[in-house]
Amino acid sequence: MSDTDGMLDMYLFENGQLLENLQDVTLEKKDENEFDEVTINEFFRIMHTIKGSSAIMMFDNITKVAHKLEDVFYYLRESHPENVPHLVLVDHIFMVSDFISEEFDKIREGDDADGDPTEILEKIDNFLHKLKDGISDSGAVLPEENKFEEPQHFYIAPANSENSKYYRIQINFLSDTQMCNVRAYNAVHVLKAIAQNILYSPSDILTNEESSLEILANGFVIFLQTQSSSEELNSLLDFSNIESVEIDDITEDEFLIGFGNTADNEASDAINTVSFEEAEKIKDEVKENSKVNNPQPGDFVIKEKDPGKGVKLAGKKKEAKKQSFISVNVSKMDQLMDLISEIVISESVVLQNQDLKVPGLNLTNFHKAAAQLTKFTSELQDIIMSLRMMPLNNTFQKMNRIVFETSRKLGKDIELIMIGQDTEVDKNIIEHISDPLMHLIRNSVDHGIETKEERQAAGKDPKGTITLEAKNEGGKVYIIVSDDGKGLDTDKIYNKAREKGLIGNRPKDEFTDKEIFQFITLPGFSTKEKVSELSGRGVGMDVVVKNIQSVGGSLDITSENGHGSSMTLKIPLTLSIIEGIVLESGDQTFVIETSAIKEFLRLTEDSIITDPDGSEFIMIRGNCYPVIRLNDRYQLQNGLQRVDDGIVILAEYDDKSACIFVDRLVGEQEIVVKPIPSYIKKVKGLSGCTQLGDGRIALILDMGGFLS
Amino acid sequence: MAEEIMDVNEDESEDTQKDKFMTFKSGNEEFAIELQYVSEIVEMQRITEIPETEDYIKGLINLRGKIIPVIDVRIRFKQDPIEYTDRTCIIITNIKSTVVGLIVEKIAGVVTLKSEDIVPPPQVSELQRRNKYVYGLGKSGDSVKLLLSPEKLIRDEDMETLEEMADYEEN
Repeated sequence: MSDTDGMLDMYLFENGQLLENLQDVTLEKKDENEFDEVTINEFFRIMHTIKGSSAIMMFDNITKVAHKLEDVFYYLRESHPENVPHLVLVDHIFMVSDFISEEFDKIREGDDADGDPTEILEKIDNFLHKLKDGISDSGAVLPEENKFEEPQHFYIAPANSENSKYYRIQINFLSDTQMCNVRAYNAVHVLKAIAQNILYSPSDILTNEESSLEILANGFVIFLQTQSSSEELNSLLDFSNIESVEIDDITEDEFLIGFGNTADNEASDAINTVSFEEAEKIKDEVKENSKVNNPQPGDFVIKEKDPGKGVKLAGKKKEAKKQSFISVNVSKMDQLMDLISEIVISESVVLQNQDLKVPGLNLTNFHKAAAQLTKFTSELQDIIMSLRMMPLNNTFQKMNRIVFETSRKLGKDIELIMIGQDTEVDKNIIEHISDPLMHLIRNSVDHGIETKEERQAAGKDPKGTITLEAKNEGGKVYIIVSDDGKGLDTDKIYNKAREKGLIGNRPKDEFTDKEIFQFITLPGFSTKEKVSELSGRGVGMDVVVKNIQSVGGSLDITSENGHGSSMTLKIPLTLSIIEGIVLESGDQTFVIETSAIKEFLRLTEDSIITDPDGSEFIMIRGNCYPVIRLNDRYQLQNGLQRVDDGIVILAEYDDKSACIFVDRLVGEQEIVVKPIPSYIKKVKGLSGCTQLGDGRIALILDMGGFLS
Repeated sequence: MAEEIMDVNEDESEDTQKDKFMTFKSGNEEFAIELQYVSEIVEMQRITEIPETEDYIKGLINLRGKIIPVIDVRIRFKQDPIEYTDRTCIIITNIKSTVVGLIVEKIAGVVTLKSEDIVPPPQVSELQRRNKYVYGLGKSGDSVKLLLSPEKLIRDEDMETLEEMADYEEN
């Protein structure tokens, strides 16, 4: 892979995260009256970073758009205008972030980032003008325009350098000064007014409080290009707490070299002012500092000297913020997962080894050691599983955004309440539920919640509420989307289903409400008369159900006419290791997930009722269950025929249950789910296979498919 | 780039394996399959059958933790199945990254067949239909090997027919 590819990956990754961050914070604060200063500064920095690195990567459109939004935040930061139309600002932020994400997608696909930014630029321009007009009217002073410093300009424009003087300014603060970094920034701020170009070190004075210590120790160094004389500078830099200001004339060349080469200078300066034994230490420190503290994007004025640096700078910034996280390639995680699976299997191969079954062996010590091993492997397994777990935060935030946007589009006032977004779910599963959840949320916004007028007429709060809740219960994650809208209309659904010929001619009384609700998950079903932009194409719910089933989950619908409906997603915590009951039937070994099993029964042949079609049933405690003989169902060889000889498993999945007759049970164990090779086409009722302790392969019965 | 490396490797291995064929016996005939498709040969393993699949798909084997589907070549050729013995082998093939084990009666060995030794199968329409797995006949000494097209061997017949139809329409 060439260097540019690596850079591009980094660029997309870093800036993608920044963009996500931007969206998340915006969503979080969208209901407040305005963004606080910290947020505005953060947004400013984010846009600045994106702008800078996009310019380096030559994505002009992104650069332009990011720059425009940066302008807005610059203005907000400098002039603190009042009466900012907050929602309009939020809209503009989303507009820009959407545009940029789209471009990122294109870049990722290898296409050109060719989106047309003109419209967005105009809109932001208008917005900014309106903001400024509001302020000029009230007589406030406009700040100077935020000049777009093109990062490609690595040399100072010659036009500016005529008559320019170059200075190296070192400001030493009194040793008891507090918050040197802020004071240093003050100095920079003052000099900015007269500067044609300015560079300073440490450069992260605003973002890094640690920098004040450094300034105290080494002084604050500024390289300045200006038309002003050193006397003027001296008078400008007349601050309290300053011990000394050294202003040295330097040549243009020295200025251009800037901090590239100053480590030694600074160190020698330092030697003058501190005792000798400290000098070496400081020298090292300074060297380190000059390495680490390259100008950070987002500080006021930056001049990148190295076109390649931009991307890496962004990386550093992120690390500084989230030191306790590292990002790991997913494929490495998968490898690790595979490996631990193999260890779990090998462990059972060792512990259940045939050689141990020789009678008369004294295995006390072996069993002790084995117990220890088991403990550690299961701990290891837990940790590795937890590495793959991610909180639902991000997914929920996305939903927040959808509610926000679609409700505005539809002119509805809807509040989204989120509960339990810290619930952790396997990353693979999160990827699969994001789309279904989006459908459900859209449905709620579009179909569920009524318009303001309808709500008022029904005597409800005009503001609708959608609740998105996640919880962890019994090895499953429940995600519940409920709204206080009009609920599902059973009559309408029934008529529609009948019209579409989905249920034949059976009268409505034959169905329970729950069954009728399930109709909406049938393919091609949609009660909405008109197809809307948001939902209602009738492809939604069946796709939702399919997606959820693909990760072993289910969808439960409840609704009360007039009072809202609630959709419950039940999904497994993880896909790869499950607790299962191993059983044998015929010559084959199967596994059924423990959670699907209600109980084991011993039945007699004559308790089974056979109807004229040959279907078999059994009554247990007043309930009637179908009987499925595994041997017959899969035409297994050498299986038991008499129910008396084998065992019956009462299995339940969703609201379906059945008695499954198998030959014998082997035991319960943790099993590692492996897919059946795709060469073999999908068999209904089998969801995968696993390797048992003795190397045999067992097929995993998927109750969802088996019972349907 | 990663792909490029793989390509290079394949080129190299193709060089050393050029014109080499793995031959095995099934019934009275000797069949040959290009060596580049063969990953390894293992003895008969315990097979886990999978219900509701085609009869020639015998099931799954567990080869050092990898789960691999196996097919019985005799049944695939519509010959009568025979009991597996200790001569029965499984040829693990990797055909366009689909890993499939072929159960064969007996491994014959590796032979070199130059392209001039290979002739296309006779173009008798009836035979052609039957010989859809065989793309050529190779002469090696006194014996004749039937050269197998591995993709046709493992691919589903229905899919194949469909594709043939599609090809036909295109042409």
